[in-house]
Amino acid sequence: MSQNRWLATGNFFTSYKQEQRTFFTHLDRTIFTCFLVILFGWPLVFEISNKYMLVLDNILIAIVAVMGLNLLLGFAGLISIGHAAFVGIGAYTVASVCQVIGENHVIVTHFWPVLIVCAGIMGAIFGAFVGLPALRLKHLYLAIATLSFQMIFEWVIQFMSFFNQGQTIYVGRAHWLTGQVGRSDHYLFWYYIILTIVVILGFGVRNLLKTKYGRCLVAVRDNDRAADAMGMNPGLTKVYAFALAGFFAGVAGALHAYLYRGVGFESFTLHASVGYLAMAIVGGLGTLNGIFWGPVAIKFLDIQVEQFSEFVGQYLTSAPNVATALKPLSFGLVIVLFLMYEPRGIANWWRIVKSYTKLWPFRY
Amino acid sequence: MKSKATLFFNAFLVIVFVLAFTLPASAGKTYKLGMSLAITGPTSDAGNPYAKGAEDWFKFVNETDYLGDGDKIDCPIRDDQYKNDTTKRFFEEFLDDGILIFLSYATGGNLALKRDFEEVQIPVIPASYHEGLIVDANYTFMPVATYSENAVGLAEYITENHQGDNIPQVAFFIHPSAFGRGPLEDTQKAIAEGMKIEIVEVVEHGTDLDNTAMLQRLVSKGVQYVICQTVQTPVATMLTDAQRLGVTAGSFGEKGKLTFLGAHYTGGSDLIALAGTATEGYIWADSYNLTSENNEGAKKQLELAKRYDRDDKAANSHNYGAGILAAQIATEAIKMAKSADLKVTRENLYKMLQKMNFNSFVAAGPVTYSETERIGVDVQNIYIAQDGVFKKIQSFESQYIQKVRAGR
Repeated sequence: MSQNRWLATGNFFTSYKQEQRTFFTHLDRTIFTCFLVILFGWPLVFEISNKYMLVLDNILIAIVAVMGLNLLLGFAGLISIGHAAFVGIGAYTVASVCQVIGENHVIVTHFWPVLIVCAGIMGAIFGAFVGLPALRLKHLYLAIATLSFQMIFEWVIQFMSFFNQGQTIYVGRAHWLTGQVGRSDHYLFWYYIILTIVVILGFGVRNLLKTKYGRCLVAVRDNDRAADAMGMNPGLTKVYAFALAGFFAGVAGALHAYLYRGVGFESFTLHASVGYLAMAIVGGLGTLNGIFWGPVAIKFLDIQVEQFSEFVGQYLTSAPNVATALKPLSFGLVIVLFLMYEPRGIANWWRIVKSYTKLWPFRY
Repeated sequence: MKSKATLFFNAFLVIVFVLAFTLPASAGKTYKLGMSLAITGPTSDAGNPYAKGAEDWFKFVNETDYLGDGDKIDCPIRDDQYKNDTTKRFFEEFLDDGILIFLSYATGGNLALKRDFEEVQIPVIPASYHEGLIVDANYTFMPVATYSENAVGLAEYITENHQGDNIPQVAFFIHPSAFGRGPLEDTQKAIAEGMKIEIVEVVEHGTDLDNTAMLQRLVSKGVQYVICQTVQTPVATMLTDAQRLGVTAGSFGEKGKLTFLGAHYTGGSDLIALAGTATEGYIWADSYNLTSENNEGAKKQLELAKRYDRDDKAANSHNYGAGILAAQIATEAIKMAKSADLKVTRENLYKMLQKMNFNSFVAAGPVTYSETERIGVDVQNIYIAQDGVFKKIQSFESQYIQKVRAGR
């Protein structure tokens, strides 16, 4: 590390502690702080329509969910094709409370932070349970085990009358210090709440990776036998990786329930699970900033393709139905192209940009 | 001379400029509506012609000055691909644009947005006829009889036409969702109210491509009638299998064979296109007038389709007619508000809808609503597939559904 704490001109760390810093330079910290100020401050300056606020809220919720998946897949190397089901567990935790005590009960409307944490804990419990096969299974076999959880989740929700057989279970409006959050402030309110949660959880993940528990995840991913020989407990590590992923997913599910003011089965299908996987891959597995890039890229791609589909649909009618194929086609193509040409995801582009600016105007 | 010519030219430009900005202003008002449905993706076989029907009707309204005073309707049609989250986003977009009426689509999407509809007090005309959409809801105006009315009505038809002393043995073939289960539950309630049929088995279909075992089981259990409440494709698969196995009844209620009946989304010209001759004898309940009936209404529907270069498939689809009807209801509400010298607002359109009573060329009966009534066309037609088309047997209104509703 350079002596100058404002500018870094290379990776010259002189101690382990230096390498573990959250921000390497004052400039990093300043830029990050400015970025946060912009994220929290822009809605006060610019007026944005509900439609776009909903899109932004959705992206932030996806970021929370992908954080968990990236911990599991990127850092611990454990595949899960049932991540949407874990998100669903969180959402249906809130929905179950609404079913039992009523959608407008004070616990639902006033104690929503508690419910969100409870949903996360429920997700963690289910995550740990589903993670048990990870003690014996790896790779494709583990993928099938998580897929089966997705199927069981869908079946249970669709057939149990307690869950309204998959149809919407309504969730009451949240209350804040100023009273009930009305329709006009709904999306803005949840933007701030979800953004705060993203920041807290983001720092949580960053700090986790500095601890021995975080390093255990990476060690087990790279070689679980070697990790075992080093005194780690690979079995426990795998189970708590699943529990962590479940917690993040559960929180995301609860936020989804409150944002949409209802829980319906269609938001937590296998298709959504594949979507989360795509976000993790495109963002960059095993990277922190990839957690943010992936959901942003996939969600915006979704909207752009949707608009393009509508445009194409005006000229090519239902006979060839090109518009129907366009969305899955572009979605699949993006994943394939990333896997082929940029398996480290968008996060790697960010790394290249950072490396370049660190040495600019000099080069190796 | 030169300066005079320049002066005239400048004056001409000013006049053109002024006219260009004043003419559109005096050309009438534009009323904004919004429509979200599955033009592509799942259920697009229904959503696609539905969208075309609505689009054509609004074009017709605008081109013929149907509203008078040069007023026009602007109704953007968005493709939500049958995803509730996308429908919600479009709905928010439409609200930002200040729409007056929302034309919605699927059961799931409508249920998900039901609270929003009530909260923002916007009239909604859905393409789903799920009974649950109008329970505890004021702003949803169902265009035609519900799926429950279809199913209960078909059960009533069975009791009236069943030959023999035994209680008709019925099986339900339903979609594995609230869309399929709701009408079954209401039929069970009708049985509890005294309707004389026995439901022997309920089959929640998957994506099976072969129904041999299921059909053989139904026959072995003594089932005579199968009421379908799902979409066309699984029904077409089942009918084709039944024909191959030789278990399709030759006449209504033939013993040892199966007579198939179905609700709104199970039938129509698309079913015949999918199942061919296996459709023969299929009984279908629907509140739309079909083009195969060759009456005045059918002619008008075909003329509209021809006017906008629609192919035969779309023109003859009852879903095309359904799209027209939804658009007509919205149009009539605006027209009524104008006639009553009221400002065209959501609130006034809601009032007008509650007083609505008009005849549509695509519907089997008049569209009527009141302060308590949220179903437009109560009349249903019973059709039978014969010689490659659906032919009307009779019109009727379900009696037991009233008892079911009263018991809620």
